[in-house]
Amino acid sequence: MAEKLLEVTDLCKYFELKRGLKGTQVVKAVDHVSFEIAKGETLGLVGESGCGKSSLGRTLLRIYEPTAGEILYCGKDLARLSRRGFLPYRRKIQMIFQDPYASLNPRLTVGEIIGEGMQIHKLCTKAQATRRVQELLELVGLKPDHIRRYPHEFSGGQRQRICIARTLSLDPEFIVCDEPISALDVSIQAQVINLLELIQKERGISYLFIAHDLGMVKHISHRIGVMYLGHMVETGPSNDVYHDPLHPYTRALLSAEPIPDPRAAHLKKRILLEGEIPSPIHPPKGCPFVTRCPYAMEVCAAIQPPSFELENRKVSCFLYEQWRIRERGGKGLASLPQKAPAQPPANA
Amino acid sequence: MSLLEIRHLSTHFQTAQGTVKALRDVSFRVSPGEVFGLVGESGSGKSVSMLSLMGLLGENSVIPEGEILFGGRDISPSELNTKKKRREYEKKMRKLRGGEISMIFQDPMTFLNPVLKIGTQICEGILAHIHCSREEARIRAIELMRQVGIPSPEKRLEQYPFEFSGGMRQRIIIAAALACKPKLIIADEPTTALDVTVQAQILELIQTLTDESGAAVIMITHDLGVVATLCDRIAILYAGRVMEEGLTEEIFYNPKHPYTRGLLGSINNSEKDGNEPLRPIPGTPPDLLKLPAGCAFMPRCQEALRICAAQEPPESSFSGTHRCFCWQNSMDASLITVPTPAAAKRAPSEAEAQNLALSAAREG
Repeated sequence: MAEKLLEVTDLCKYFELKRGLKGTQVVKAVDHVSFEIAKGETLGLVGESGCGKSSLGRTLLRIYEPTAGEILYCGKDLARLSRRGFLPYRRKIQMIFQDPYASLNPRLTVGEIIGEGMQIHKLCTKAQATRRVQELLELVGLKPDHIRRYPHEFSGGQRQRICIARTLSLDPEFIVCDEPISALDVSIQAQVINLLELIQKERGISYLFIAHDLGMVKHISHRIGVMYLGHMVETGPSNDVYHDPLHPYTRALLSAEPIPDPRAAHLKKRILLEGEIPSPIHPPKGCPFVTRCPYAMEVCAAIQPPSFELENRKVSCFLYEQWRIRERGGKGLASLPQKAPAQPPANA
Repeated sequence: MSLLEIRHLSTHFQTAQGTVKALRDVSFRVSPGEVFGLVGESGSGKSVSMLSLMGLLGENSVIPEGEILFGGRDISPSELNTKKKRREYEKKMRKLRGGEISMIFQDPMTFLNPVLKIGTQICEGILAHIHCSREEARIRAIELMRQVGIPSPEKRLEQYPFEFSGGMRQRIIIAAALACKPKLIIADEPTTALDVTVQAQILELIQTLTDESGAAVIMITHDLGVVATLCDRIAILYAGRVMEEGLTEEIFYNPKHPYTRGLLGSINNSEKDGNEPLRPIPGTPPDLLKLPAGCAFMPRCQEALRICAAQEPPESSFSGTHRCFCWQNSMDASLITVPTPAAAKRAPSEAEAQNLALSAAREG
């Protein structure tokens, strides 16, 4: 693997909820998450709403202060830096937000929006800034004379391009893309994805790409992390994860995705999960997935599974304990008896 | 005979900036029991076409032309120029809405009335359309809730919407939509607000329920995956016009319109090996206030001919079921203008070449 850029170990972010007489409750939005990202690599982060993927992205940038854990960025622990000490990293780590309508100040011109960061970090003088902004606009596929326009004059896809130009103005090394395409139309999504890939190729930027569109995540990511209820349940190279998902949740998630190919869609076997994600205020005691898992065992309800390493992949599931794999005579889950999945209610 | 037939329907909106032509000359038909997909991006007119059908448009809407036949009856919303005609139309539609035609809306969070019990909301439609007592309606509601997979329906009937999760609310809405055994269900992006695993549950539910009841479904969506899974036939809308219509297999495996091909090139199929480069459609959808003179897709079309800018394309049909509006496929095109040389058309554009290099670099 190439040089490590970011190494996250046991990162936690807990939110406290004050609930009157019941006292304080804790939501474990990100719970002991570990992963790493190499230089020039894209890590795709998938999971359902409320699984903590956005919280994780924001905690990396210290938009949320981490509760515990390490964020090693080029060997330096970002979680322990003072506000002032963190400032240079604010430049190197950038973020693209989901909603291009809400993340651009409507009262600033495009030039001011893109140039603001460069002024704050004193990267160039005002005169240079204009030229630099124009270059950036061209780079992201807009016209240099758009510099004096306001955000409302642009469509969603164009606004997302402005957001990308803004992040690039500071020459970042790492960009957290928090669902950058989910607010865009299908034909525009592909444009933005291609732009992000082009920029990565030219500048060697690493991405943490958060999304729930599994097809797009597979397309852009080198590796993929799957989150469930604040836990990273599986990480691995994207092709491997898609072709041979290890964790039962990953299997269900991938099988649930509707694929844009009618013949394949009719052949596809869907694993329908029971129920919905449990409330993060009262997560299950053992494995977070135990309440919906078709393979759940006794041990799963009692203890949280640690992360097991298999070749270049990691999976948090007791089914991948060494002795269990040996007993099965291989990695796959095919031979395992499944608990009968939730009866489709119509026949119940 | 078709259950629903829409002929040359146009819907305009009067706004301060001018007339927005949201729908232009849209025609299609839906047969009993089939699942028909209406696919398009935001602003393509997929929701407006259904709202026109149901007579649910706002005050500023005008329907200059169009005929709608439902089960042989004329329910056209056009030419309602007198008060009497409007009153009669409204009376007709009130009987249909929630009765023979019902709708499932996108957002399960806002569709249900938060201050009414679930049971009241499901029974409301039954009492309005079927002659029965409250107790009978309640029994029907319980039966419906059981059908859509809500555990212990007798108890849940007495609860309020906030006590249900998103997926459960969508199930309740489906139950309410099925209450009067409709012949046609219009599902307007029913799973867009839901998570993938819950979406799978709901799609499965819609499939089994419609198979059982024999109701036809019009599925409005922008998700080609959902369409491929569920629909028998598809119409692709762009800027208020039907671009292509056909059986699901015809659209996916033999797309004729450049826009359809563009849409299919813009998505990634995670089932496939390796990474094919995405081939997005350049540019952005047109402003419905200032539509181009010819084909609305022309400014973004990589295969545009000279005539495309001047004249709207005629219909060309390929089979009994497959039709498309594009000069490329029209017999007349070859007579009027010289097509661009095939080689030039097929050469990858700059962006495509970059993408190809990119994917090669990644695989290497």
